[in-house]
Amino acid sequence: MGWGWLYKALYIARKDIRVYYLKAPNLTYGLLMPVALYLAFGITGQMNPVTLVSGLVSLVILFGTMSIEAVAVVMEKQTGTIDRLMAAPITPLTLVLGKAFAGTFLGPLVAASVLLPLMIYSGASIASPLLVFLAILISSFTFSALGTLVSSYARWVPEAQMYSNLLRFPMAFLAGTFIPLSSMPSQIQIVARLLPLTYTVEALRSAIESTTVTFTYVVDLWALILFSAASVIASTWTLNRSRL
Amino acid sequence: MMYAIRVEDLTKRYNGLLALDKSNFHVKQGSVFGLLGPNGAGKTTTIRILTGLTRPSEGTATVMGYDVTNEAVKAKQMVGVVPETSNVYEEMTALENLVFAAELYGVPRAERRNRARGLLEAFGLLDRAGGRVADFSRGMRRRLTIACALIHRPELLFLDEPTTGLDVQSARQLRNHVSELRDEGVTVFLTTHYIEEADQLCDTVAMINQGRIAALDSPENLKASVTGTRVVEVVFSGHPVEGELKGIQGVMEVHRLGDRYRLTVGGEADIVGGLIDYARKGGLRVVTLNTLKTSLEDAFIRITGLAPEEAHEEKEQPGQGRAQ
Repeated sequence: MGWGWLYKALYIARKDIRVYYLKAPNLTYGLLMPVALYLAFGITGQMNPVTLVSGLVSLVILFGTMSIEAVAVVMEKQTGTIDRLMAAPITPLTLVLGKAFAGTFLGPLVAASVLLPLMIYSGASIASPLLVFLAILISSFTFSALGTLVSSYARWVPEAQMYSNLLRFPMAFLAGTFIPLSSMPSQIQIVARLLPLTYTVEALRSAIESTTVTFTYVVDLWALILFSAASVIASTWTLNRSRL
Repeated sequence: MMYAIRVEDLTKRYNGLLALDKSNFHVKQGSVFGLLGPNGAGKTTTIRILTGLTRPSEGTATVMGYDVTNEAVKAKQMVGVVPETSNVYEEMTALENLVFAAELYGVPRAERRNRARGLLEAFGLLDRAGGRVADFSRGMRRRLTIACALIHRPELLFLDEPTTGLDVQSARQLRNHVSELRDEGVTVFLTTHYIEEADQLCDTVAMINQGRIAALDSPENLKASVTGTRVVEVVFSGHPVEGELKGIQGVMEVHRLGDRYRLTVGGEADIVGGLIDYARKGGLRVVTLNTLKTSLEDAFIRITGLAPEEAHEEKEQPGQGRAQ
């Protein structure tokens, strides 16, 4: 088996970026929503710079990738272009990976557009820029894959947006973005462990604070990879079922 | 004999409803095969199964020698697909759409743009190569969709209702393109509910109704299969009783089409004399009387059991021009 499938997935990703992502409303929503949430709930004047940076960047990745990806497949269903992709000589897995790659490329860009001004504003410094980038990249794939799953399941755009919001807003409040996880009640901490955003926040915090790869960081990345794999498998299964 | 498509006992159920019922047919390589039937007859279901978009409930289908269920990717590589609704990306230009299609089908990088420009020229879109598809007319989108389906030079092209919704000129251009493709050796599988279109384009026609293949032959043989009957259209000065028309010697069927009455007449009955006698007795006058040549539409009506009114409704969709 050659690498043809990977090239085709990348072509789909490039097409999605061109068609869906690079539109002002999508980009601004991905950036403005998390900033608005932070201004409403997070900025108390006493927030630790590390909590501020890791939390806000995590939210930007979540909203910036998932909000568009959650409608990318369903919009293709509505316009009929999904049949163009499904009739092409590619497997449903290649199609799902292509969709998820689009968000993966955009995630680091939207994260950087918030991270750099935030560092200047808060005075925070990053101990391991490479580890921060890796955490952002893997998280971008995780949330894009989750958005693809939502989009594969939904039949029309408002339905996809509803599922997407059902996943994003609980994550935004329970994953330790505004308040460190250790300060939350133990029951909430258990629930938070079921949310991928928790691992993004934790991995970013670790990479911002530590110059070495910590055990927590490794566990967090593996957790994100597991969430990604589960989302990709479920999306592929959902798309396959649509052919029954 | 080389077959581009082999379909054996193909069956499809949607939530218990039978959309396709043990369909069987073979399509010769290099021919134009038409699947003719009314809306909801199973045409699109057939084409969706053959192009890998839907899985059959039972039966098998092979496309260019590959099983459409188990070797779907290989089968898809060999075919081009033009769905009923044009599905090009509106946000992209015509050239970008073609290059993206070339990428998906693995056309070598060095050839993509040249092939795309060649197809844009062939389909009269070269001057709009850089134009966004959102600004294209329906006919232009249709032509671009077909061009996208041809970018990898497929041996088999599926066209689902290719001229539906097109104006007369665009429909005629499209039919010319199909004829050219056949001349180039491409096998064409088209579904249509326009009977004349199937008659003009197809080497073989399968008539499908309620999920079942009702007849399968060349258009000429299908027309010949309903000989032994004549079709007469008559217009009276007033309104005759349909039941009484059926009582005229030799009349087998009567269908009203506006102010015309279409009579299917069997045997050697003197229908002209019978109609004139009937008109005289009823105080009517025969305004026009035409004996029609057996058409594929007559064959379609006889074979599927549809009334001519239904066949006309299928054929003449509101607001849609038809090329003759």
